[in-house]
Amino acid sequence: MTTLSFADPMGSDMSENRIASDPAPIDDADARLEEIGPPPRARSKAWIVRLASIVVVVGAWEIFGRQVNPLFMSSPSAIATAAVRLIADGELFEALKSSLWTLLVGFITASAIGVVLGLLIGRYKTMDAATDWLVNALYSTPLIAIMPLVILWFGLGDAAKLFIVCILAVFPVLINTAAGVRNVPTQLIDVSAAFAANERQVFLKIIVPATLPYIMTGLRLGIGRSIIGMVVAEFFTAITGLGAMIVKYGNQYDTAAMFVPILVLMFLGIGLTTLLKRAEEHFAPWRGQED
Amino acid sequence: MSAPPIKLSVRNVTKTFRVRKGSDTSLLNVLRNVNFDVRQGEIVSLIGESGCGKTTLLRIVQGLIRLDSGDLLIDGAAVKRSGRDRGFVFQQASLLPWRTARQNVEFGLELQGMPKQARADRAMQLLELVSLAHAADQFPHQMSGGMQQRIGLARALAIDPAILLMDEPFSALDAQTREVLQTELMRIHAQTAKTTLFVTHDLDEAIFLSDRVVVLAARPGRVKKIIDIPFAHPRPELTALRGDPAFQAIRAEIWSLISTPPVAVAA
Ligand SMILES: Nc1ncnc2c1ncn2[C@@H]1O[C@H](COP(=O)(O)OP(=O)(O)OP(=O)(O)O)[C@@H](O)[C@H]1O
Ligand SMILES: [Mg+2]
Repeated sequence: MTTLSFADPMGSDMSENRIASDPAPIDDADARLEEIGPPPRARSKAWIVRLASIVVVVGAWEIFGRQVNPLFMSSPSAIATAAVRLIADGELFEALKSSLWTLLVGFITASAIGVVLGLLIGRYKTMDAATDWLVNALYSTPLIAIMPLVILWFGLGDAAKLFIVCILAVFPVLINTAAGVRNVPTQLIDVSAAFAANERQVFLKIIVPATLPYIMTGLRLGIGRSIIGMVVAEFFTAITGLGAMIVKYGNQYDTAAMFVPILVLMFLGIGLTTLLKRAEEHFAPWRGQED
Repeated sequence: MSAPPIKLSVRNVTKTFRVRKGSDTSLLNVLRNVNFDVRQGEIVSLIGESGCGKTTLLRIVQGLIRLDSGDLLIDGAAVKRSGRDRGFVFQQASLLPWRTARQNVEFGLELQGMPKQARADRAMQLLELVSLAHAADQFPHQMSGGMQQRIGLARALAIDPAILLMDEPFSALDAQTREVLQTELMRIHAQTAKTTLFVTHDLDEAIFLSDRVVVLAARPGRVKKIIDIPFAHPRPELTALRGDPAFQAIRAEIWSLISTPPVAVAA
C-alpha cells in the first residue's frame, strides 16, 4: 500500500441519505483522518517528544528504584543484568517457547472457532437467536473466574491452559465477526443476488471479504485476552512458561529477575497487537482508520 | 421495416408490500397491472414521480423481488428468478470496494466459473468499451462517481446479458458527467445493441436515450402512457436535440402526464 485515500464509497452512500440537519459524522471522520496523517516533520517531532518521555520515565525509575529495598522494587539496570543472566542460561528462552506454544495454539483455535461461528451467527437469524443470550453472558463474564472449574475438567496439563486461552479469545473474535457480517452493506448483497450467486459464493466473494476488517479487529482484541489467559493459566495449573518464571522469582524474592518475564509479556502484547493492527489496515485500505 | 421481436414482456405485474408500522401492518399497493413490452435492441425508459415503484418494477424484472401476480416473459418464456440473462446497473455503483476495477468487472464471470485468463481478457475488453482500460488496477475509492458507474456498466455487460437493467445510474452524478455518460451509453448501445430497460426521473435523459418512454402513474404504480420517441439513431447531442420543437413537444407531454394529480382510485 503506497497511498491511502480515505474517500469511502460506502460512506458517501450513507451521507447521500443523511438529512441536512444531521451533523454528518462522516465529515467528522474525514477531519479526524486528516489529523492522523500529519506532515512528516510533525511526525518526527512527535517521535522526539516520545523518546524524551521514555528517557525521563526510565531515568526516574532508575533513580527511584535504587533508593528502595530491592525486594519491593527493582531498577532498569538491575533488570537488565537479570535479563542478561536469564538469556545466557537459556531459561528465558525455554519459558518463552513454552508460553508461545500455549498462546499460539490456543489463539489460533479460538480464531478459527470464532470466525466460523461468527459468520454463521451473523448471517442466519435463527443461529443468532439461539446463541445471542449465551454469547453475551459469556462475553460479559470475567471467564478467568472459571479457572478452578477448568482445572477440575482438564487437570493441570496443557489442555487446561489451551482451554482458558481459547475461551478468553473466542468471544471478541466471534462478536466482531458477527457484527461485521451484519454490517455488510445490503447493496453488496444485492449485487451478488443480481448476478445470481449461490449461497457459497455469497459467503466467499461478498461476506468474508467485507467482514475481514472486522475479523482483524476481533483478532486484535482476542490476542490481548489470550495473553491474560495464558499467564493466569500458567500461575494456576502446572506452572510453566513465563508465568512460572514470575511465580518462581517472586517466591525467591528476586524482584529484578521477576520483572524480566513481565517485560517480555509486555513486548509480546505490544508486538502482536501492532502486527494485527497493521494487518487490519492492510486488509481494508478503503475503510480508512476507524476504530 | 419489420419490428424486431419482443424480448421482454411485463404482463399484469402487481406488487403489494406489507409495511409494518409499530404493531400493526398495512398493505402498500406499489404496482398494479403493469403492462409493457421491450423489443430486441430497444432502449425503453421508465419514468414517473418518486415513489411510484420504478425501482420495485426493475428489481422484479431482475428477480430481486418476487411479484405477487402477473408474468414476466423473456423471449416468450416465463422467468421467475434472478439470472445472468439480465445485467443490473445500480443507482449507487455498488462496486466491491476490495476489488480493483478489472476484478469488479470480472465478478459475474467468476461466478459463472470462467477460467482466470479468459475473464481477465474479457474484463479488459469491457474496460476498453467504457473507456477505462487505463484504470484497470484502481480501487473504487480511488475513482470518481462517473468512473464507478462506468465500471458498474462494464460489470453488467461482461456477462453478456440479453437484457440490461439500469436503475437511475446517472442520477448521483453532476450535470456534465451525466451528459458525457448519456452520450457514452448511446455509443455503447450502438455497438452492443443491448435490449435495455432504463429507470430515470430525468425527462431529457429519458427522451434522449429511449426508443419508447413508459410513463408511470403513482399510488399504485401503473402505466399511464407509452410514448414513442421518433428521433432516428445516431442522435444529435442532447444540447442540440433540446432545440428541436418535436423534442420540446414530447417533453411537454411527458411533463403534463407526470405532474397531473393522481386519479383517485375507487376503494
Ligand atoms: N421492501 C419494501 N417494503 C415496503 N415498502 C417498500 C419496499 N420497497 C419499496 N417500498 C415502497 O414502495 C414504493 C415504491 O418504491 P420504489 O423504490 O420502487 O420507488 P421509485 O419509483 O424507485 O422512487 P425513486 O424515484 O425515489 O427512486 C415506495 O413508497 C416505497 O416506500
Ligand atoms: Mg428508485
